[in-house]
Amino acid sequence: MSVAWIGSQPVSLTDAIQNAVKLLASSRCPVFSLDTDVHGTRSAIALATILGGAYDHTMGRLLANEIALITDHGGMFTTPGEVRRRSSLIVLVGEVPVFHHELLQTWANSKPDLGDKHSRHWFHVAGAETNSLDSKLLRPMKAVPVGGENLSLNATLAVLRAQLQNRQTVSTLSNIDRFKSALTAAQFPVFVFSGGSVETAGLVMLQDLIADLNKKGRASSLFLPADDDAWGSALTSLWMTGFPPRTGFINSLPSYDPVRWDVQRMLREKEADLHVWVSTREGETSPKGGKARLISLSRTDAPTAGAMITIAVGKAGIDHDGVAYSSRIGTFGFVQAMAPSHLPSVSNIIRQLADALPGKKEFAC
Amino acid sequence: MLIRLSGGEVIDPVNGKTSQRDVWIRDGVLIDIPEGETADQTHNVSGCIVMAGAIDIHSHIGGGNVNTARLLLPEYHAAHQPRPTNTPLSNAGWSTFRTGCLYAQMGFTTVVEPAMAPYTALHTHLELADIPIIDKATLAILGNDDFTLSLLRDGKSSAMIDDYVAWVVGSTRALGVKVINAGAAAAFKENVRSFSLDDVVPEYGVSSRKIVKSMQASVTRLGIPHPLHVHANNLGIAGSANTAAATIAATEGVPLHLAHLQFYGYGTEGKRKFSSEAARLAEAVNSNPDVTIDIGQVMFGQTVTISSDVMRQFAALGNASPKKTVIFDGDGNGGGGIVPYRYKQDYYGSIQWAVGLELFLLVTDPWRVFFTTDHPNGAPFTAYPELFELLMSSAARDAKCTELNASALELTTLASIRREYNLEEIAIMTRAAPAKLLGLKDRGHLGAGAIADVAVYRKGKDIAKMFREAALVFKNGDLVVKNGKVMHYRWGKTLRLNPPPDKAMAKRMNAYHEERYGLSLDWFTFPDSAIQRDEPFAEVSCNS
Ligand SMILES: [Zn+2]
Repeated sequence: MSVAWIGSQPVSLTDAIQNAVKLLASSRCPVFSLDTDVHGTRSAIALATILGGAYDHTMGRLLANEIALITDHGGMFTTPGEVRRRSSLIVLVGEVPVFHHELLQTWANSKPDLGDKHSRHWFHVAGAETNSLDSKLLRPMKAVPVGGENLSLNATLAVLRAQLQNRQTVSTLSNIDRFKSALTAAQFPVFVFSGGSVETAGLVMLQDLIADLNKKGRASSLFLPADDDAWGSALTSLWMTGFPPRTGFINSLPSYDPVRWDVQRMLREKEADLHVWVSTREGETSPKGGKARLISLSRTDAPTAGAMITIAVGKAGIDHDGVAYSSRIGTFGFVQAMAPSHLPSVSNIIRQLADALPGKKEFAC
Repeated sequence: MLIRLSGGEVIDPVNGKTSQRDVWIRDGVLIDIPEGETADQTHNVSGCIVMAGAIDIHSHIGGGNVNTARLLLPEYHAAHQPRPTNTPLSNAGWSTFRTGCLYAQMGFTTVVEPAMAPYTALHTHLELADIPIIDKATLAILGNDDFTLSLLRDGKSSAMIDDYVAWVVGSTRALGVKVINAGAAAAFKENVRSFSLDDVVPEYGVSSRKIVKSMQASVTRLGIPHPLHVHANNLGIAGSANTAAATIAATEGVPLHLAHLQFYGYGTEGKRKFSSEAARLAEAVNSNPDVTIDIGQVMFGQTVTISSDVMRQFAALGNASPKKTVIFDGDGNGGGGIVPYRYKQDYYGSIQWAVGLELFLLVTDPWRVFFTTDHPNGAPFTAYPELFELLMSSAARDAKCTELNASALELTTLASIRREYNLEEIAIMTRAAPAKLLGLKDRGHLGAGAIADVAVYRKGKDIAKMFREAALVFKNGDLVVKNGKVMHYRWGKTLRLNPPPDKAMAKRMNAYHEERYGLSLDWFTFPDSAIQRDEPFAEVSCNS
């Protein structure tokens, strides 16, 4: 089975590498879109460091929202393990992505063994735009809704904060008294949120609310990333270059700028002449359009439409071992290949590209 | 490969008096002068001093909290650059790559990250593996986790505690054990806001003292070369000198290392009720041979404080500059706080700066006082060259004092101390003593058989310049730095202990994680291959 193509023609891996290197070496401004595990991300960023240009995550816009909470504000956070063991009051804020529902369910099926050790209570702070928690996994928790008529989630959080401070507000919120007494009874309430459904301003409001609660008692938040791999890439990028994604290189030194190095924008506005698409996510292909030439490293058995070069790569945890961020443990975990395959890893292919580049370069991976 | 460094002034207190002699390296190892052989490579280092590569025992260079600090402060990188700022690196980011290069350029070849939360060991090791050139090591944090506290509450045997400590050290690939405000992180989760040596953790009824003493005893019984590394209670608080003195008094004949003592050197004298108790603490250290300390020197300017002492960091939120912070209630021993801070040349900053220097200069034995800024808590490690100068030149201290708050300095003894460190003492404090403290027999000196970690500095009047840009640095015999610039990347190793895991404890750990976290132990452990570098670890042996 073929793993490399030039245009739509199957070629040997060696040919594909050599041709990709020509494109890389002659590019004035290559840009990288990434969606892979830690080692794939490490190698792609190391390559970008040599070549210059810029890198972004394929979910760059979503990730930028999550990153902005910390770069602009900060906050108080805890881990899924502490929530399970210590929190008897769980407050879901906005929508929680479906892939986290199983984690939430494990809390519903267990009782805290540290702290107040009360049975768990669930609330759901929602705005008018928030979808209801109608998933099968979440229904048994009977989360008590907290919200106001026609209030956005941001506005709901602002009103909630004011009401918890006993300030006068124009709007009222459903179940607010119940919520207040639940907060009083719980020793370690945790607000669970994801970057996908709350805007940065709302996330900041939530953190201010938590800061208020910590003046006298304790409370924290659990950040569940909109996508685990995207968050893992952000963390990897931070140690590799010192910055989160949407980082570019000026005179081979990294610079962080979420507007300037937005790779999709750079492609639209023709600032980049070569797009290196690195995605091990099943079924994901590079967005069409733009004039830049495309090198595609994808988990695919066919050439990527519009790509000058396609190389098939495997996914960590399926085709080969790897390391990935896991929101089940709130940190990186080792993932073992579930179905080892012939597909090479991203880091393997990128190392071959780096080794074949003309001139001696220090490759960091 | 046979390398000869000829004509340098060799400062190697472990192996004898300072003298002009040649240093020979064969295949990465130091050797005696080989009779009748010619070197493949000769470096004329006359006019230079030659020392072993320096070892930093306490510098927060990687792991979850360091990475969160990067995320919180993308604009901070400017504070991390070498000072003064007119160097080619002035835009350098605060990455693992720059960390390795900047350390190597100063002649440092081994650095210990002192605060690895056991559950995030893989993350820490991934970062350390991406720090080029130098060797690394970590200390595993213990003393705030439910498992330890339960063992102590339930009066379990010391054998069982040892099995647990050994399991943590082995599975997280640590070189030693650290306690951080022992018990306070657990207490803070139950809304306790201050915590001292004899306070007890709610639910467990176990005092901080009991945790420290139990871990200290266990580390000693297990033959872990590095004594228990203690971040004491009440860091940064006026009056914390009493806590530090009580901790020093608690060694009871067993070795103990007290981290960043500067941050505990404060009394309550003066109009502002904040004064120096450095002289008293130095005396306590001098008269207790069980104890070693490092300083955590403050240098002025912007930095960010990164600490797993979550209770202390929460208390410091009001001082954040800029006003953004992260407080993290982690699993057991994890978590902490990231609080950016600017050390100003005001009353408080002047006291802190002076306390650090007083401790450096009043602790008489250079084998028991270690050179740190608690990077980046007191200052980024890039401020080391200026700190060497302050230690070696009383004139440099006097000059700096004129810029500082005079009423603060009056409450210190600094002006009366004329001691100047000589190069032999610097070599002991930054090379020989750290190697001994960590149990690294293969480095810290230039005797035959040691690995060829060598730093060569061009002698000059400007001490800071001399230490900022090493003339030559060799790591395991590889020439990595020339004239203060990195010439060659290589990948060092992470030094670790590997005590054999007790089978019953491993089984117990699995059951504990299944029951308490609903996850098998595999979620929390990893094979060496997860790091994806050739032989990322090197083993250091425990004392028998
Ligand atoms: Zn520290």
